[in-house]
Amino acid sequence: MEGGTQVLLEAVGLVKVYDTRGVTTRALDGVDLEIAEGEFSALAGPSGSGKTTLLNMLGALDVPDAGSVRLDGEDYSSLSTADQSELRLRKLGFVFQAYNLIPVFTARENVEFVMELQGVASAARRARAEEVLEQVGLGGLGAKRPLEMSGGQQQRVAVARSIASRPRLVLADEPTASLDSKTADSLLELMDRLNRDHGVTFLFSTHDPRVMEAARRVVRLQDGRVVGDERKAAS
Amino acid sequence: MLLRLAWRNLWRNPRRTTIMLIAVAIGIAGSLLSMAVNYGMVDQMVRTAIETELGHIQIHAAGWEADPKLERILADGGRAAERALASGPELRASTRRVRADGLAISARGSAGVAVMGVDPDREPGVTVLRDALIDGEWFGTSRLRAVIGQALADQLEVGAGDKIAVSVQDALGELTGGGFRVAGTFRTSSSDFDRSTVLLRLGEAQELLALGGGVTEVVAVARDDDVIDPLASRAEMSLGEAVEVRTWSELQPLLLYMVETFDMMAWYLYGAVFIAMAFGIANVLLMSVHERTREIGMLRAMGMRRGQVIVLVVLESLLVTIVGVVSGLAIGLAGALALRDGIDLSAFAEGLASYGVAPRIAPVLRASDLLIPLVVAGFTAGLASCWPAVRATRYRPADALRRS
Repeated sequence: MEGGTQVLLEAVGLVKVYDTRGVTTRALDGVDLEIAEGEFSALAGPSGSGKTTLLNMLGALDVPDAGSVRLDGEDYSSLSTADQSELRLRKLGFVFQAYNLIPVFTARENVEFVMELQGVASAARRARAEEVLEQVGLGGLGAKRPLEMSGGQQQRVAVARSIASRPRLVLADEPTASLDSKTADSLLELMDRLNRDHGVTFLFSTHDPRVMEAARRVVRLQDGRVVGDERKAAS
Repeated sequence: MLLRLAWRNLWRNPRRTTIMLIAVAIGIAGSLLSMAVNYGMVDQMVRTAIETELGHIQIHAAGWEADPKLERILADGGRAAERALASGPELRASTRRVRADGLAISARGSAGVAVMGVDPDREPGVTVLRDALIDGEWFGTSRLRAVIGQALADQLEVGAGDKIAVSVQDALGELTGGGFRVAGTFRTSSSDFDRSTVLLRLGEAQELLALGGGVTEVVAVARDDDVIDPLASRAEMSLGEAVEVRTWSELQPLLLYMVETFDMMAWYLYGAVFIAMAFGIANVLLMSVHERTREIGMLRAMGMRRGQVIVLVVLESLLVTIVGVVSGLAIGLAGALALRDGIDLSAFAEGLASYGVAPRIAPVLRASDLLIPLVVAGFTAGLASCWPAVRATRYRPADALRRS
């Protein structure tokens, strides 16, 4: 599925300044960004360019010093901490570089976790978990714990977890950084398929050329500013 | 889900959790057992006092407590008092007595004693004195027989069949006395009582003391501890101000004070254990939360609310505490059961007897000894987890995720 025209996420004038032991760093310096429904986009740039900081702002994981973020027209700054948690729970999915699965839960329990927080009934939760584990190619491995799985399998579980509750947007922070080439390619194919076949909107932060190549839109950041926004022709 | 996660989190570091559980369990088991033994000792002191002499309730003529003179007697022989006691369902047994100070004299010695006139048939319903006989018989059938404590017999150097003289001041103020043959000797758990008591038949004591048919006291035991007060109230209301109705705790406030003191000591002991436990739990949780900062950030990112993270940490604390406390209570209970026949302290028998304690002490457990630690443990666990729980949520999700 190609990116639609309806704006899903809108960031305006985002500024984030870190002050560490008297050293001030402007991690974001007036970033404007729009993400449409169904996009498969990447935030690219060298280390320290502000990719992860921007992703954190867009995911309501951190608060900007200036500017605003809206998801489905809802301004994050108008939300309380609890409402921001609720927004993340209902509308956002996350994939992290280090997988960040719950080690004491099985793969299936990890996938069910967000749905449990949402209060989805047990049977429906289980069925959905089995379905998404199948989609990410881990059917039959639901009873394994993260430490019993390879890095690639763990990241697939993380992807399954991020999409299980059908979020409006999945934010993936360097999702391939801990994976070997083959596993990274396989994961990218998986996410691409989820985007095309199931309409899941993805936004990556990455400096991995493979992710930039796979993405159909690449927003380039440097020194906390957007310095490029390249859309590829539909394939 | 939070409960499942909390439980599994505990076992991420099995060694740490096991050490914590063992520490809690040993603390609780030790406290419970020591409390049970202490309470067993106090309970025995109270029971000894009640079963050898006091009974649950005593009724005397008004003014006896302040000035126990023989003119203050129940002139009707205590019959009205016994009727009042027997009018409800609480009474198990009662008996009548006379009591006066006197002197017991043998050919080889003398001792100041309490002379008690008792009804040989009814006294065993109220006290254990007949069962405590170690030599001779319980009065027998002949007249002018006395039953005395073995310690007194030793002091007077007499035994069953020997003769003693009992000297008293009667109700008319005259010094008088009589000769009695020792029918038997008893040994109770109270060496004081054994050293200073001469039991005579009620009628012979009344005659010796010139009391006619009067008695100095009616002694009663209730069916169980819970109905002592209702029984006393019933008697008091029925008999009015002409008599003094006193429960064992009013007659021997020192005993009650000891019970209360031991209870308080038990709480201090538990308090110390729980305070140590609280620091232990807080320490374990702080380490655990610190190690999971990033994971907690991930949980928050997934949409878990701060309150849910706090509940998760509190649940971990509650689980480790409750498992530890329940294990400790089970170990303590098993220990108390293993010692149910009593701990043999016969090496200290003489010292213990002076406090009215038998040389074999059986632990006594009350339901509250099991329930209260559970409740307090829950409270302690909650309190101990506050700091770690708040620390767990002090970072924004993004900051927590950045930490390794």
